[in-house]
Amino acid sequence: MSSHLLLQAVVLGVLTGGVYSLWSAGLTLIFGVMRVVNIAHAAFLVLSAYLSWFAYTELGIDPLLSLFATVPAFFVVGVLIQRLLLARLRDHVTMMSVLLTTALAITIEGSLGMLWTGSHRGIEISYSTSSFSLAGISFPSDQVIGFVLAALTFFALFMLLRHSRYGKALRATIQNPDAASLLGIKTTTIQGIGFGLGLATAAVGGLILGLIHPFFPATHWAWIARIMAIIVLGGLGSVTGAALAALLMGVIESVVLVTLSPVWAGMIFYLVLAGTLVFRPHGFFGGRLAERF
Amino acid sequence: MRGSRLMRLFGLLVALIVLAAACGGDDPSSEDSTDTTDEVSDEPILIGASLPLSGDFSEPGKGVQNGYEVWKEHVNASGGLLGRPVELVIRDDASDPNTVVADYERLITVDQVDLLFGPFSSFLTIPSSEVAEKYEMVFVEPAGSAPDVFNRGLQYLFYASTAVAQDQGNYWAEWVVSLPEGERPTTAAYPIVDDPFAGAAADGIREILEAGGIETVYREIYPPEQTNFGPIAAKIADSEAEIVVGGTIFEDAVGLVRSMQELDYQPKAVFLNTAPATTPGFKDALGDAVEGIYGPSSWASSLTTPGNAEFVETYTEMFGSEPAEDAAQGYTTGQVMAAAVEAVGSTDDQDAIRDYLRANSFETIEGTLSFDDTGAPSGGGYIILQYQDGEIVYLLPEDVATGTPVYPKPEW
Amino acid sequence: MLSGSKEAIGRFVKWGTLLLLVCLALAYPWLFPNPYLRFVGVMTVMYMGLATSWNLMAGNTGYVSLGHSAFFGVGAYFTGIMIVRFDMPPFAMVAAAGVFVGLFAIVIGWLALRTRDASFVIVTLALVYIMLLLAQGWRGLTGGSSGLSLPRMEGIGREDAHVPFYFAFLILLAVVLFTTWWIGRSKFGMGLVAIRGDEDKAAALGVNTDLYKLIAFVLSAGFTGIGGGIYVYWFSYIEPFFVFSITIGVNMILMALLGGTRSLFGPALGALLLVPGTQYLIGEYGSTQLHVVLTGLLLGAIVMVLPMGIIPSLRSAAAHLWSASSGASSAATCTESDEVAEGVGR
Repeated sequence: MSSHLLLQAVVLGVLTGGVYSLWSAGLTLIFGVMRVVNIAHAAFLVLSAYLSWFAYTELGIDPLLSLFATVPAFFVVGVLIQRLLLARLRDHVTMMSVLLTTALAITIEGSLGMLWTGSHRGIEISYSTSSFSLAGISFPSDQVIGFVLAALTFFALFMLLRHSRYGKALRATIQNPDAASLLGIKTTTIQGIGFGLGLATAAVGGLILGLIHPFFPATHWAWIARIMAIIVLGGLGSVTGAALAALLMGVIESVVLVTLSPVWAGMIFYLVLAGTLVFRPHGFFGGRLAERF
Repeated sequence: MRGSRLMRLFGLLVALIVLAAACGGDDPSSEDSTDTTDEVSDEPILIGASLPLSGDFSEPGKGVQNGYEVWKEHVNASGGLLGRPVELVIRDDASDPNTVVADYERLITVDQVDLLFGPFSSFLTIPSSEVAEKYEMVFVEPAGSAPDVFNRGLQYLFYASTAVAQDQGNYWAEWVVSLPEGERPTTAAYPIVDDPFAGAAADGIREILEAGGIETVYREIYPPEQTNFGPIAAKIADSEAEIVVGGTIFEDAVGLVRSMQELDYQPKAVFLNTAPATTPGFKDALGDAVEGIYGPSSWASSLTTPGNAEFVETYTEMFGSEPAEDAAQGYTTGQVMAAAVEAVGSTDDQDAIRDYLRANSFETIEGTLSFDDTGAPSGGGYIILQYQDGEIVYLLPEDVATGTPVYPKPEW
Repeated sequence: MLSGSKEAIGRFVKWGTLLLLVCLALAYPWLFPNPYLRFVGVMTVMYMGLATSWNLMAGNTGYVSLGHSAFFGVGAYFTGIMIVRFDMPPFAMVAAAGVFVGLFAIVIGWLALRTRDASFVIVTLALVYIMLLLAQGWRGLTGGSSGLSLPRMEGIGREDAHVPFYFAFLILLAVVLFTTWWIGRSKFGMGLVAIRGDEDKAAALGVNTDLYKLIAFVLSAGFTGIGGGIYVYWFSYIEPFFVFSITIGVNMILMALLGGTRSLFGPALGALLLVPGTQYLIGEYGSTQLHVVLTGLLLGAIVMVLPMGIIPSLRSAAAHLWSASSGASSAATCTESDEVAEGVGR
C-alpha cells in the first residue's frame, strides 16, 4: 500500500462524494419538509439519466442543455406528486408514504424498461474518458465535471435556502411545521415547493449519474440504499449534514475499496446506515430534527 | 351479523376460486395434447428458450436470440426439422434466476415445447438446467461453461461450444508464456466479477501464467452490482502489473477499462472475458480505448467451417450487421440439436437424443464438437481476438488467424 | 330469538365455507394435474403463507418490514447448507430453519426494534443488502455466486414433483393462520394492537412493548424462514440473488395490503389474487416490463384508494349496507370500534 495509492483513493473518493452530496441533499430536503422518505429518489435520478441520454443520442442535444428542460419538469412533477398524492394520505402517513414512493420507484423502473429495454446505457461524450494529473494524481474529467456540476447546484440550493424568503419559510417548516403555520407560513405550499426542489436537484444529479456510471432501469435500488445511508449519517433533514456525510462516505468507500475489498466497500454503507439508525438516530452532523422519523 | 359479513366474504372467495378454476380449465394447453403431434406431420416443432433480454446479461442475450432466429431461418428454408417447420418460443427472464426457472417450467408444461435450448450465462444456466433435468428433457445450451454447470451430475445438459470456462483463454495464456524473455511480462493483475463463469475463466489463465513464472500481484473479486471502478483501477495501477486479465462480463469490463484509462495506467496487454466479443456494444461503449484489447471467442467470422459463410450472410441480411460470438453460439446450439434429432428421427424420445449426443461428434460453424459424460465439450480453447484499428482481428489458433498480435498494446 | 337462529345459520355458513375451502385447497393438485398449474399452485400457497407471516408483525404492531426476504433467504441458506454440507434430512432441516431464523431474528430484532416507523423500514431494507453481500462474500459456506445445488427429491415422478412442496407450504399456511388467529384472541394480541395505536401510551399503560414487539417480530421472521427452507428444497438450487431480493419482500407487502392487513385472511387473499395474476401477466407479456409497471401502479392505487385492503373495506361496506337496510343502529359503530380495538386474528 503506497501513500500515492491512498492519496489517489482519497481524491477519487472526494470526487465521488461530491456527487453523492448533491443526490442526498435532495433526499434529505424532501424528508425535512415533509417527513417523507422518498424511496423513489434514485429512480428519479435514473429517469433523468435516461432523459439526458435520450436527448443526446437520439436528438443530438448536449446533455448540459437538456437540463433546461429536465430541471423545471422535475420541479413541476415534484409539486404535483406532493399535491396529488402525498398530501392526500390520511392515516399512518410516514409508513404509507414509504409504500407510495416505493410504488413510484417500481412504476418508473418498469416504464423505463418498457420504453428503452433493460440494456445498460451510458452518456458517452467525447471528453468523458480523458483526465489530467496533478503531482502524479489523476483527476478523471467526467468525475471532475460531475463534481463541479454538483457543487454548483448544491451551492445554488444552499443560497436559496439561506437567503430567500422561500428558503426561510422552508427552513422554518423543516424545524417546526406547526409553529411555522402559526406564523402564517402556508406549509402545504412550502412542502410542495420542497418536494419540487428536491426532484429538481435529482434532475441535475441524474445527468451526472449518466455521465459517470452505466445505468439500467433497476440500478436505482443500489443507489437509494447508499444515499439513504448518507442522509441518516448526516442527520435527517440537514442539508449541510448530508453534504459532509456524503464526502465522508465517498472517501470511506474509496479507501475501503483499495485497502480491504469491494465486498466490504458495499457493505460499509449498509452497516453505517443500520448502525446509525440503531445507535444514534439523530446522525452525527448536527441534524436539528429532535425527533426520530 | 358477523356471520353474514363473513358469508359474503367467503362467497367472494369461493367465486374467485371457481373463476380461477374456470380460467385454468379454459387454457387449451392444460389439456393433454402431446400424443396428437405425432400424427400430424406438418405440425411445427416447438423449441423453447428463455433468454436474458433485459438486465445484466441483455447485450449477449439478444445476440443469442438472433443466432437462434438465423438457425430457424436456415432450417425452415431447407425443409424443416424431420420435415416439419420449426417455431421458437422465447421468453425474457430479465437476467433473474427466479424468472428463468418459472420460464422453463412454463415452456415445458404449458407451451409444451418439443425441444429446449438454454439461456445465456452460467448464472442462469445452472438453475434452469435443473428444470430440464427434472422433466428429463435434453438441454443444449449456448453459454453455460462454468465448472459448476458440469459438476452437478446432470444427464441431459450439453454445452454446445468448443471449450469450458477455465480453458477458454488457454491459447492466449500459452502465447504470453512463450514470449521471449525481456518481452514477456513478469506480473499480472486479475480483477474478477463475482460470477460462476468469470472466476473460473480468469483462474484458468492465471494457472498457466503462474506456471510460466508470471507473478500474480493483484487478484480481487468485486460484486456484480459494482459501479465504482475508480479505486479498483487505482489499486491495479498501484500494483504495477504489466498485464491485466479481467474475469469480466460486459458492463464491468467497460467500467474497468474507462477507469484504468482515466488513471493513465498503461498495461502492456489487457485480456477481458466475454465483453470484447460482444459487438458492436463493446466498441460503442469504449470508442478508441478498445485498441489492443484481447478477448476469447468461440467463433470467428474467418472460420472456414462448413456453413459459416452462409451463417454470416443470412445474419447480416436479417440484422444489418455482422454477427458476434453470442449469435454464433446460438446458431451452434441449433445445429447440434438438429443433428441429434434428425439422427434419432423423433423428438419424443429425449433419452435417445441424449444418448446420441453423448456418443457422436457434430459438425458446426464453430468446428467439430463432441461431449464428455458431464456434457462438457472436449476442446482445447477458444479463438483469441484483438482489436486493431477498431476492428476485430483473430490471432490464435493459427489456422483461423487473420493477423498477428500487437504487443505491447498502444496506449489508451 | 330471531337473531339467535340467524347467528347459528351464520356460524354454520362460516364453518361450511371454511371446510369447503380447505377441501378445495387439499384437492387442488388433482383438480389441476398440469405441472405448470401445480407450479403456480405451489407459488400461490407459498406467498399466502409468506404474506400472512409478514402480517403477523405488520398487521398487529404497525411495523412495516421491507426486508422480510432477508429472513426468507437466511432460512433458505440454513436449509441448503445443512442438506449439502452436513447431509441432514431435508424436511427436518426446514423445521430447524424456523428455529434458526427465529434466533437470528432475536438478535436483529433487538437492534432493529430500537427504531420506529420509517427508520425501521430502512433498517430492514439495509438488512437485505447486508445478507446479500454476506452470502456473496462467504464463499466457503454459501458457495458465493455459484450457489449451492441440493440433491433432488428421490423416488417421485416428474408429474408429482410439486405435490409434496404444495402440501408443505399448505401446512405452513395453516400453522401461520392458526397462530395469527390465536394471537388475535389473546391478551398478547391486545397488547400488540395497543402498540399499533400509540406505542408510548401502550408502554405507559404497562405493556412491555419491547418484549411484545420482539415476540411478534421473531414469530413473523421464523415462519418466513421456514418458507425459505421449503422454497430452497423445492427449487433444489440457491444463490444470493435468488432469495435476498427486494422484490420478494415487496410482494409480501403488496399482497398483505391488497387483501387487508387487519384481517386474518386478508394477506392470503391478496396472494391468492396476485400470484396467479402475475404469472398470467408474465406468461402473456413476459418480454416487456409491463408486469413491473402494473405492480407499481397497483401498490400505489392500494395506498391511495384502498389503504385498508379488500376484506376490511368489504366488511365495512357490508356493515353500512346492513345498517341501511335493516336499520340496526349498532352495526356501523360496532364495525368502527372493531377496527380500533381488534387485532388481526378474526
